[in-house]
Amino acid sequence: MKKTSADVLPAVGGQGNEPLLAVDNLHVEFHTRAGVVRAVNGVSYTVAPGETLAVLGESGSGKSVTAQAIMGILDMPPAVIPKGEIRFKGTDLLKLSEHDRTHVRGQRIAMIFQDALSALNPVFTVGWQISEMFRVHRGMSKSEAMKKAVELMDRVRIPAAKQRVHDYPHQFSGGMRQRIMIAMSIALDPEVLIADEPTTALDVTVQAQIMELLAELQRESQMGLILITHDLGVVADVADKIAVMYAGRIVENAPVYDIYKAPAHPYTKGLLDSIPRVDQKGHELYAIKGLPPNLLDLPTGCAFHPRCPLRQENCVTDAPPLYEISGTRGSACHYWREVLDGERR
Amino acid sequence: MGRYVIRRLIQAIPVLLGATLLIFCIVFALPGDPIAALFGDKRPDPAIAEVLREQYHLNDPLLLQYWYYISGVLFRGDFGVNFADVPVSQIMAGKFQITLNLALTALVMEAVIGVGLGLWAALRRGKATDTAILASTLVLISVPTLVTGFVLQLVLGVKVKQWTGLDIFPVAGTAEGLRAYLLPGFVLAGASIAYLTRLTRTSLAETLRSDYIRTATAKGLSRRRVVGRHGLRNALIPLVTYLGADLGQLMGGAVITETIFNLQGIGNQLFQSVYLREQPVVVGIVTVLVLIYILANLVVDLLYAVLDPRIRYE
Repeated sequence: MKKTSADVLPAVGGQGNEPLLAVDNLHVEFHTRAGVVRAVNGVSYTVAPGETLAVLGESGSGKSVTAQAIMGILDMPPAVIPKGEIRFKGTDLLKLSEHDRTHVRGQRIAMIFQDALSALNPVFTVGWQISEMFRVHRGMSKSEAMKKAVELMDRVRIPAAKQRVHDYPHQFSGGMRQRIMIAMSIALDPEVLIADEPTTALDVTVQAQIMELLAELQRESQMGLILITHDLGVVADVADKIAVMYAGRIVENAPVYDIYKAPAHPYTKGLLDSIPRVDQKGHELYAIKGLPPNLLDLPTGCAFHPRCPLRQENCVTDAPPLYEISGTRGSACHYWREVLDGERR
Repeated sequence: MGRYVIRRLIQAIPVLLGATLLIFCIVFALPGDPIAALFGDKRPDPAIAEVLREQYHLNDPLLLQYWYYISGVLFRGDFGVNFADVPVSQIMAGKFQITLNLALTALVMEAVIGVGLGLWAALRRGKATDTAILASTLVLISVPTLVTGFVLQLVLGVKVKQWTGLDIFPVAGTAEGLRAYLLPGFVLAGASIAYLTRLTRTSLAETLRSDYIRTATAKGLSRRRVVGRHGLRNALIPLVTYLGADLGQLMGGAVITETIFNLQGIGNQLFQSVYLREQPVVVGIVTVLVLIYILANLVVDLLYAVLDPRIRYE
C-alpha cells in the first residue's frame, strides 16, 4: 500500500502541548568557494493553528532561508544544517527520510513564493498545475482533479474559473497569478502555510486583496501562517506576532501590538522609523546607517553593532542572547530597557 | 497558424530563387570548360563541341541560361538533364534516399545519445560521470570526421569482424540495408552528438535552477517527477531548434562520410557534379537541399509553439 502523509505524521493535535510548528535553534550554512556563509544562526519560533507569524527583515537576514529549511527545499549541498530542529507536531522534520519528507511537503506544509510568474511552470496550464496536487497526492483521475482545480480557483476568487482553467500562467495578471499560486498551495488543506513575500511583486491595491484572501482562507481552515516580508505595512494588518530577523538571528519577537507601540531593539526601532509618514512630509526620510552585514564575515558581538546608534563597548565583544522581556516578548539587545524607555519618553 | 504556414511558404520562394541564381552564377564562374571536361584527356572536335554548346545553351548570356533552367523547373517540374542526357531528377532520386537515410540515422543517434548523455551529465553535475562525459564530448568535437570515420571503419568494420567473426557493422556500401547506416550515421553525427550533449546539459541544469522547479519540489513531488515532467519539458525547447537546424547540416555536409563509407549519396554526387561543371545537377541538388532547410526550419518553428505556449504565431 502507498504510504500517505497520515502514516508519516500523527493527526492534528498529536503531541500534548507541542506547538503546530516549532523551529528550534536552527542553523543553516552555505559552503561556498568563498567560505562559509552563515545565513541562519540559531533561529527559534513557533506557530500555532490559526496564528499568523510575520517574519520581518531585510534581504539576506535569513528569513527566506529559514522558510526553505522548513519546506526542505534548500539545495543541500551547498546548504548544510549543522544544528537545530524543525518540529512539526512534535516530529523533527530534519530527521525524516527524503521520502517521508515529500509526504509533508505540499500536503501538510505548503509554500507561496514571491514572483508567481516565475514560480509557475510556463509550459503547463494553471489547471494542470493545480490539479497535479490531487493527481499525484490523492490519486484522482484527470477529470476529477480538474474539477477540484476549478473549485479552488473559485475559492480564491478567480473570475470565470471554468474557462480560465485551461489558460497558461502568462495569460493572467500578476494578482491573478498569485491567486493561482495560493490555490495550488491550499489544495490539500495544509496545516501550515508559508508565504514568502507574497505581495512584493504586486501593486498596492492588489497587495491588499491578496492579504485579505490569505487572512480569509486562514480563518476558514485554521492553518498556521508564516508571513515573510520586509513590508511593515502588510504586517500590521494581519500578523498576530512578529519575529524580526537580522544577520540570521531573531533580534526581537513580540505580539504585533507591542512592537508597534514600543520596539525593544534598536534595529526594530530603525525599521519603524524609516516608514514614511504623512505627518512628517517634507522632512528627510530616516534610514538605518551603514550596510547589511557580510554573512561570510559576521561582525563580532552583536551583529548589528556597526550600525547601532546605542552601541556600547560590550556590544562589540559580547553577543547578546535573546533576553526575555515578558512571556511573549524577547529582544537580543543588551540595552533593551533603554530602547524601550527611549520609546516611552 | 495556417496563415502563418502559408506566409512562411510564400517567403520561401524568393529564398529558393535567390539560392538557385547564386549557385548558378558560382558554377558559371568556375574556371574550365564543361564540354572539354566531357572529353577527358582527348581534344574535342571543335564542330562537335560547338553543337554541344548550342544544345546546352552554353553560348547564351548567363541570365538567359538561368531563365531556361528555372522556367523548366517552375513550369514543367523539369530539373533538366546532365551532359549525358540523364534527367537530373532521376540522378537525384536514389541518391537523396541514401543521404536521407544517413542523415535520419545520424539525427536519431544525435537525439538519443546526445540528449541521453546530456541529461545524465546534468543530473550528476560536478561528479565524475559529468566530468567524463564532458571530456569525451570535447574529444568528439576536436577530432575531425576524417579521423573518426577511418578509425571506426577500421576498428568496428574490419577488426571486429576479424577477431570475432561477427559482421555487425558493414565496412562500406549499402548492400546490407539499414544496418549499413549505423557506423556512417554515428561518424556523421559525431560532433553534433557532442554539441547536443553539452547543450542538453546546460539547458537542463539551467532549467533546474528556475523558480518553478523549486515550486514543483515544494508541491511535494518526487524528484523524478520534478525533473522528468517540470524540468524536461522546458529544457527540451532549445534542443528542438538545434536538432531541426542540424538536419539540413547533416544532409548537406555528408560528403566526407559518404566518401569514406562509399555511400552513393547526394554529397558524393554534388562533389562529382561540381567537378564536371554539371550546372543543372549542382543547382538541382542545392535547390532541394535549400528546400529541406526551409521546411526543417518551419517544422522547428511550429514545434516551438507546441512546446512553449507563450509563443503564438499571427
